[in-house]
Order: sequence, then structure tokens, then C-alpha cells
Amino acid sequence: MVLHRDIGYLVTSLLLAYCVSGLALNHADLWNPDFVIQKREVAVPRRDSSADLSKEEVAALDRLVGEAEHRVVDRPTADQVKVYYEGATLHVDYSAGKGLYERVSRRPIIYQVDVLHKNSFKPWRWVSDVLALALIALSLTGLFVLRGPKGLGGRGWRLVALGTAPGVIALALHG
Amino acid sequence: MAARLCAPRLAVRAAWIAALTMLLAIVGCAKKPAPAAEAPVAEKKTGVLLVSHGSRSATWRKALEELGERVRGPILAGGKVKEVKSAFMEYTEPSIATRLKEFDRDGFSDVVVVPVFLTVSPHPFDDIPTIMGQKTDPQSLETIKVEGIERYTPRARVHLTPLLDFTDLLQKNILRRVKSLSTDAAKEGLVLVAYGDETYEKEWTKLLEKVAAHVGEQTGIKTSAHAWCGHIVRYDPKKTTAAIEQVLKTRERALVIPVLVAHDEHFQVKIIGDGIAAVAGSKEKVAYRPDAILPDDNLDQWVIRATMERATSLEAGGGLVQR
Repeated sequence: MVLHRDIGYLVTSLLLAYCVSGLALNHADLWNPDFVIQKREVAVPRRDSSADLSKEEVAALDRLVGEAEHRVVDRPTADQVKVYYEGATLHVDYSAGKGLYERVSRRPIIYQVDVLHKNSFKPWRWVSDVLALALIALSLTGLFVLRGPKGLGGRGWRLVALGTAPGVIALALHG
Repeated sequence: MAARLCAPRLAVRAAWIAALTMLLAIVGCAKKPAPAAEAPVAEKKTGVLLVSHGSRSATWRKALEELGERVRGPILAGGKVKEVKSAFMEYTEPSIATRLKEFDRDGFSDVVVVPVFLTVSPHPFDDIPTIMGQKTDPQSLETIKVEGIERYTPRARVHLTPLLDFTDLLQKNILRRVKSLSTDAAKEGLVLVAYGDETYEKEWTKLLEKVAAHVGEQTGIKTSAHAWCGHIVRYDPKKTTAAIEQVLKTRERALVIPVLVAHDEHFQVKIIGDGIAAVAGSKEKVAYRPDAILPDDNLDQWVIRATMERATSLEAGGGLVQR
């Protein structure tokens, strides 16, 4: 009982972090959980090639998106140019006559919990292993916290079976 | 009673001690991004690094490793390159950083980086140069950090070769694979399935249309469609199904060709395979082989030619250093 309670206290914050990032990553196909990317489309004069772009024309692009100075200019294709700024880029497609300005910033909280969840920080995997073991201990000790009709021997086993059912049904449907 | 209370308390203390020890270990293990080696380079020594995307599929990785092994001999025989290595951008070792450190350690002055990617995408254009410390694309910078990909700025100068679509290699490759599946061109249509890319969809579409037109001229298979199977469509097999069904509206049989560098079970079997299986009467109406661009002797020759050209230009004192 005491062991169950104290392990519970120990893992609470990390478990919440993993739950939040789990929710975020579950829907990673619908959004970018790690970053907020502010996008703004700008109109540029059409031209056939980006090869002959002058310094003045690049400076005009800087002004167009409100940047004081660029770091690098590069050409992904013959009719496109990408200008790099501190924390932002401007990708211009001259044949389409438009550019896409993007500013990247980390999504608060979600980014940080994702870093932990994805083991982006390599030594963290040892902590997540310990957390996993602690959760196994928590689950097993939780089965025996209560005794009597509300314990595992009573309605407890029915609830355990109920909790197992969604996984079994999903696997059966998946084939 | 006292003994019973004591055991949980000890367990909690032990847990605290373990947690603190682990915290200290993590802090100790935390590494700053590795700087380039500082030893001076005495003479020109050129290496070649073949960089591919990387995959969790062992079959995929093997195909790329074998490419490296096949081109190694001919490139070294040219005498201008002293070492040929392969690296994966993500998922598995050897990573780009690992290989660049090896080149630095062995005193290479120049590394010709050959991106084995189909066409322009943020991977060869932004991610790889950012990983090599040649660029600081903000999105790549953040993404490689969260994906746990190490960034390393080598002391050796880095030179990127052009991408595959600068040659007619893909047209020849797809034509060969189409011919091996075709039985009656007049009744057949072509479906090309490629990874795709959000940023450069126009370029990817152009490339596939060019390939399909070439196949049409050479075989008489004039009807074609294409589908993406990568992140741009969230790996949705329905896009493959839709492209096949589009072709089957006017043709009796669809030839499905994966325009992917190597075989990855997730793509050729799961995504494209599921997309085909969802087509009514697919067994009779769809011809498909879950193959890939590799192995292809033309691709080997392209890698050899591209590296030799760059190495020769370096020896002559030329070569544009990638930012």
C-alpha cells in the first residue's frame, strides 16, 4: 500500500508529461506538435530565373518580410530562391510570383515533453526505462491495494477484464 | 510493527537515491555539440560520403550499403579519392556526424558528399547541410534537435554533388521496370508512386510527368497517373488506390511502379501494397513488383562520375564549397 502510494508520487510528473506528449504525438499527422510555424505569403514580381538575383533585390526581399538582414541565400531550383534569417526563412518561387515566409518557434510545454517522450536527449532513455519499470510495479501493486468485494477477487477482476477488452477487440479487428 | 514501517521507508529512500544518481549521470552524460577537430590539415586528401535518408528497414539499409561497396573500388581506383564511406541522415548509425568525425580524425581536407535522393526536397537542400554545419535552416535546426540527430561541423571542406534528377537515370530505370511488367502496352496504363514532398511538389510532379512521358514514347503506354506515399499524404494507401483507379477508367490493366530509392517494407509492401489491395479486382487488373530504383548499374555509374568530376575539379583548385 505504502509502496504503491510512494511510487505513485514519484512518477506523477513524468507520467503526466508522457500522457500530454502521447496525446500530441497521437495526432502528429494533423499538426506539428513540436513547433509553431507562423506562415505569411508575399507577392513577388515573376521572373524566369533566380540565378541573376542582385544584392539589392535580395535586400528588397528582406524588407518585404520585415527582416533587417539575411544570413544566407541559396537556390533550390532554377526559378526559386530561399533566404535564411535568424529563426525564419523566405522561400520564393519566381515562376509562381509568390514567396512563403516562415518563422519557427518551439511550442511551449508540448515541445519539452516531446523531447522527453522521443528520447531526443540520449541519456534520458535510462530514466524512461526506470519509469516504465515503476509503472509496471505501480500497476501490479495497484491490483492488490484493496481486498474484499471491491478488490481483485471481487469486482476488480471484472474491471481489469474490461480494461483489457479494447486492446483485444482492436487487435481482432486489425487481423 | 516497526520493522513493517521500516521497509517502505527504505524503499522510498532507495528510490530517491536512485533518482538523484540518475540525474547526476544524465548531467554528466550531456554533451555539447561536437566541434570540429582542431588538428591542421597538411595536404589535400579527398573523401567521399554517400548520404541517404536512412530507414528502420534492414533491407533498405542493405541496398544503400551495397551501393557504397559497389562504387568504392572504381572511385578509389581513380586515385583522386582516398576513402569512400556511407552514412544515413536519420534512424540508424553510421550517421553523417559519425562519418564526418572519422574523416576529420583521418586528416581529410575535403569531403565530397553525394546525396542519394531522388530530387529536391528539404532533406538534401536544408537538413543535410544543416547537420553538417554548413547551413542554419531554423526548421531543420529544431527538427534535427528534437529527432536526436547530431550536428557536426567538420574541419574538412564539404562539397555537395547534384541530385539524381540531373541525369536521365530515372527515365531509364523506370522504363526497364515497366518493360519487365508489361504484356500488352495498348491495354495498359502506368502508375508511378513516389514519396513526394510538400515544399517541392511542383518539382516532384514535373519529374514524374517527364518519366511517364519518356515511358510513353518508348513503350506506347500513354495513359499515366502518379501518387505520393510519403508524409505529404500522411502515408495514406488510398492515394495509391485513387491513382490506379484513375488509370483503370480507360485501361484494362495498371502497371504500378514504386519510384523509391530502395525497398522498405513499410512503403512497398504496406502502403503501396494496401493501396493496390483496395482496388476491386486488383489481382487481374494490377501488375506490381515491390522493387526499387536500386540496384541499378546506371546509378552506380552516376555516383562514380559525379564524385570523380568533383574530385578532379577539387584537385584543379576549383569546386564550390557548400555553405
